[in-house]
Amino acid sequence: MRRGEIIPSGSRTRSVIGPLAPAACSTGNTGWRELGAVAAGLALLAGASAPARAAGYSEFLDSIEFRGFRAEASYTSDDNVTRAPSGDSLRDRILGVRVSAAGVIPLSTRTRAAVQGFAGTQKFGTYTGLSNNFIGTQGDFFFRSSGEFAAATYGAFVRTAKEEYDSNLRDGYRHAFGVTVLKPVTDRIQLSGALARNISDGKSTVFDQSNTSLRGNADWSLGRWDTVYLGAEFRRGDTVSTGRQTLALVDTADVIVQDDAFNDTTRFAYRFEARTWLATLGYNRAFGERHSLDVSWRRVQSMPLHPPGNASASELRYVVNQFSVAYLARF
Amino acid sequence: MLASAAGHEAGERGTSAGPYGRNYLLGLFAGDDSGFRGVGGESAAVRPLGELDDPRRRILIQALAAGFFSSAGNAAAQLFGKTPGKLPAGQSIYRVSGRVTVNTQQATLQTRIVPGDTVETAPNAEVVFAVAEEAFLLRGGSRMVIEKPPSGLTTALRLVTGKVLSVFGRGRPTRIVTATSTIGIRGTGAYAETDPEQTYFCTCYGIADIAANNDPSSRETVSATHHDKPLYILAKGKTGASIRRAPFISHTDQELALIESLVGRTPPFVFPMDTYNAPRRDYP
Repeated sequence: MRRGEIIPSGSRTRSVIGPLAPAACSTGNTGWRELGAVAAGLALLAGASAPARAAGYSEFLDSIEFRGFRAEASYTSDDNVTRAPSGDSLRDRILGVRVSAAGVIPLSTRTRAAVQGFAGTQKFGTYTGLSNNFIGTQGDFFFRSSGEFAAATYGAFVRTAKEEYDSNLRDGYRHAFGVTVLKPVTDRIQLSGALARNISDGKSTVFDQSNTSLRGNADWSLGRWDTVYLGAEFRRGDTVSTGRQTLALVDTADVIVQDDAFNDTTRFAYRFEARTWLATLGYNRAFGERHSLDVSWRRVQSMPLHPPGNASASELRYVVNQFSVAYLARF
Repeated sequence: MLASAAGHEAGERGTSAGPYGRNYLLGLFAGDDSGFRGVGGESAAVRPLGELDDPRRRILIQALAAGFFSSAGNAAAQLFGKTPGKLPAGQSIYRVSGRVTVNTQQATLQTRIVPGDTVETAPNAEVVFAVAEEAFLLRGGSRMVIEKPPSGLTTALRLVTGKVLSVFGRGRPTRIVTATSTIGIRGTGAYAETDPEQTYFCTCYGIADIAANNDPSSRETVSATHHDKPLYILAKGKTGASIRRAPFISHTDQELALIESLVGRTPPFVFPMDTYNAPRRDYP
């Protein structure tokens, strides 16, 4: 699963219990075609400002300050890719690659917009149905009152992404919008926060989800090249858990569908409302200004909001631990 | 109530004894029966330092009064940082880490730096300081001389070797001399790295007249608003071509904002180009 998207999110729909979706869904090949399209888009964004300046075609394009490419290669160990209570949890390893290109458009002295295109892939070692390719774009608007060291930067963002899995039911779109704030507290500590609404629109109804998240993050610079970061996030809304059929899960779920990402045995995807806590502890070690190594641990705990009478919330809660090592570069 | 001259001195340097004050500490360490009765009470068994009979106790009290809590505060600031602001009159150094010397003497937060001084940093050391209307961040492995200003110039710097980020008072002409270049600037934020082969110079904002030391025909004037034209100035470049374009490296807008705040100013830009020195993972 993609970092920060451990809990698939999306909008609520009617309750459905049904079999696997028809096999007429798109496959990973489509994902690669999409990736190609995005790569072309990223290249276009990368080169947009220079040709625009040269030809003088557009003042708008000319105003985009290209901020370069970023790339990330990561390895993640996830002890619960099913997001299921302990009896049904499955462990897997994930290799990920993500690239992005960004540009900034100054709007006024105190405001600016930013656009970013991104694309990537995740390959699961065992449960390959979870492997996916994604492409997307994000737009941000920022306001900062002054250039004072401790002045806060306020922002609003909209993001949309298309995801194609090696299985079918999860294919779809993921959207998010929200507000952000970023504030240096001292010359070593910087705080940030975000309130966001996350919506996903999967091929199967069970993966149509939505939730609201509140996130806080602290960056602590130990030196010029070393940063420790601590994040906490609370989400309230839909989550999906995959496991074998139990009465408690059936009673809790709003939607149940046989999950096509796992072929070891018959497993069902259950969508239900939950409150979810995410905590992240990470360390970033830079090697110069363009390369860094990032090590992080993330723990997720999710509890259903409305457990059935025949089970307690703690029986249905699931816990996820993810350990990630990532190499990051910008160029 | 302070019981010793040492305590007075420590107090003048801003030493804090914490929420209980120094009376509590003196009472706590002065005798077996002092303890909590010393907190704010006139009846506490507090004796002046000179009357303490045990020299070890006296040393302990002096150490506590002079530096323990100050050191703890400094350690916390070193660890978690502090919000930069205009330095109080008489203070030159905002932050020092690693081995830093001023005129060959180990620098501390109390060290004054004035024109005529030489500041040196060991590898991996760093010092952030201000002199008059100018402020500097001197990175590790550097040696910089703040020369006494000749007439008509407020400040003249000689960066013998190393890396320095500097901001200068607006409208104040300044000259920076490096191993390979001489740069006249006015109201500028600038970053320079120099070694015998070349100098990297970024006019972060303001105006700079840059000349190669070994090639008088290589001159360039840069008027920048936000790191518009970083340059390399070569020691052995072709005649007329000793100045070349360079990428933006090794300094951040947050660092500029920090040192500007030490002299009560803000940089002319509002949004930093990049907060971090290195790429970081995004939260999708």
